[in-house]
Amino acid sequence: MKDDGAKLGFRLTLPAQVLVLFISVFPLLMQLYISLTDWSPLAGTSWTQAWAMWNTFANYTDLIYDQRLWSALGRTALVIGVCVPVEFLLGLGLATLFMDDFPGKRAAYSILIMPMMVVPAVAGYMFFMLFQSGGPINDILSNLIGHPITVAWLSDPNLALLAVMVADIWQWTPLMFLILLAGLAGVPEDQIKAATLLGAGPVQRFVTIVLPRMKTIIGIALAIRVIECFKIFDTLFIMTGGGPGVATETISVYIYKIATQDLIWGYVAAIALAILIVLSIACVWALKRMART
Amino acid sequence: MSTIHLQNLVKHFGPFTALKTMDLTIADGEFVALLGPSGCGKSTTMNMIAGMERPSEGRILFDGRDMAGVPMGRRGVGFVFQNYAIFTHLTVRQNLAYGLRATRRPVDEVNRRVSAMADLLQLTTMLDRPSAGLSVNILQRVAIGRSAVMEPSIFLLDEPLSNVDAAFRTVMRTELKALQRQFRQTMVYVTHDQLEAMTMADRIAVMDHGVLQQVGTPLEIYNDPANLFVARFIGSPGMNLLQGQPVETATGLALDLGPLGQTPPLSEPQVAALRQAQADVVYGFRPELVALVPEGQGMAMPITFVERIGARTILHLGQGSASAKVVLENDAGLQTGQVLHFAPLPHAIRLFEAASGIALKGA
Repeated sequence: MKDDGAKLGFRLTLPAQVLVLFISVFPLLMQLYISLTDWSPLAGTSWTQAWAMWNTFANYTDLIYDQRLWSALGRTALVIGVCVPVEFLLGLGLATLFMDDFPGKRAAYSILIMPMMVVPAVAGYMFFMLFQSGGPINDILSNLIGHPITVAWLSDPNLALLAVMVADIWQWTPLMFLILLAGLAGVPEDQIKAATLLGAGPVQRFVTIVLPRMKTIIGIALAIRVIECFKIFDTLFIMTGGGPGVATETISVYIYKIATQDLIWGYVAAIALAILIVLSIACVWALKRMART
Repeated sequence: MSTIHLQNLVKHFGPFTALKTMDLTIADGEFVALLGPSGCGKSTTMNMIAGMERPSEGRILFDGRDMAGVPMGRRGVGFVFQNYAIFTHLTVRQNLAYGLRATRRPVDEVNRRVSAMADLLQLTTMLDRPSAGLSVNILQRVAIGRSAVMEPSIFLLDEPLSNVDAAFRTVMRTELKALQRQFRQTMVYVTHDQLEAMTMADRIAVMDHGVLQQVGTPLEIYNDPANLFVARFIGSPGMNLLQGQPVETATGLALDLGPLGQTPPLSEPQVAALRQAQADVVYGFRPELVALVPEGQGMAMPITFVERIGARTILHLGQGSASAKVVLENDAGLQTGQVLHFAPLPHAIRLFEAASGIALKGA
């Protein structure tokens, strides 16, 4: 009887299963197929004819020698390496602050989480204006220092990435703050009191009770931000377009450019697939590690 | 080892007064239970002793030293929380060692004291187990050990048995009392369970609505409740309390209980107290301390409900607005609707002033 029920259930959900399989698996298979060819929209043939341009693993070997790809990856890693820790520390600090009551807390809270609600493209536009050489940031710095500053933030190859990172930190610290605040609120108050009664100071309490209790939630917050940061695009693209030159060209911008300008779609597919595989392995590894602790 | 003095202790939470002028002295090595219904201010009192709450008024002295301004980590107070507040992300050993490590004791001292405490509490075999998922009785021992290893002079326990099932509570009561004897520390124990207070405490402080009602040994509180609240609250069921007016009878001064008739003549000290009070009184007697008498003698009340709990039977009696309970060891087949003829044992009768609820002295 039970088996029959399971069989019936399987049959009834079969159409949905096929649909899901089609939606999730088909694009991947197609990508794999295209990535093994030199197919390009310029060739004038349909993707089904792409096999005529079969190049086996040539795209994948090209990828290994693609300097521009590697420097884009390095730049992306730099953005992650700076933005995520800064967002984490700022978020944790703010969350700790918000665990205590202070006047104007509600208003401060609303203002603080607002950047998160801003459409990334709009945020990009805002920072595009802020960082203009005649823009407010230079004005404020000029007033602070006392002599006029006219740094061209977004067209200086050494500063453009910094400006982009500032925008990302502005926009995504609130998310970190929210997640960590939820984590802090979940630390039982009794445990904090018990630790205090046993003579632990504030730093000891934080390190021995609060942090270990927040381990999972910190892991989740960091994972979300690392993955999101890896895909950084909209804000950056509006601020610098990946420029000047390739100074702010992250992996997404690079893929966008070769897909829309160079039109080498077989190669784009190979890059995308390679990244997907590497990220999946990294994710599985991270999840397993988290599950173990 | 420490004495605790609470002097004129008051605690307000906004407009709400949680504790009204509490005075209590707890002797060195004494086990005092703060007993009362929820909201009576017992936990507030305890939290103030621990330093988790600041008194609105009054002073707390440990061995004569004022504790105002001494933070809770420095009071030398061990605290066992209602839910034990075990650090579940740590092992049993790490839990026990937490305080010693936090106060930066040398490693060999930490190890020595932790293993001694584990020995005492029979936790040695579980030292390296993660504390998450341990059973409640082990968690409780860990919670006690974690505080006791710091050798606090004062031990505070906040309803530590309220999460435990009934069968286990009996075991733990004995265990806790034994532990207290071993540690010989001043212990303050908050509970709403009179059985816990009665069985473990040297003295009980009964509280209600933020007011300390009576302090005394368990038997003093049971035998001579200071007022109507204590009389009702202590004992299960609590003391029978019947409204009465003094009347002169042929055999001496008695009480007219309205439709229940007259009480037997009162004893001499009671008469003296009554004559002094010159007021309406409440006639009280324990349901356990009652004798069955032939018809025509003593009081007569119809049985409204028979509650048989094995060893004893509780008879619920009611007539008009008056009600009483009688506990018998043998109910001899009494049924609802029958009229019970009974008389309180003479030595068990207590009188209270009706208006104030205070016990009449000497009665």
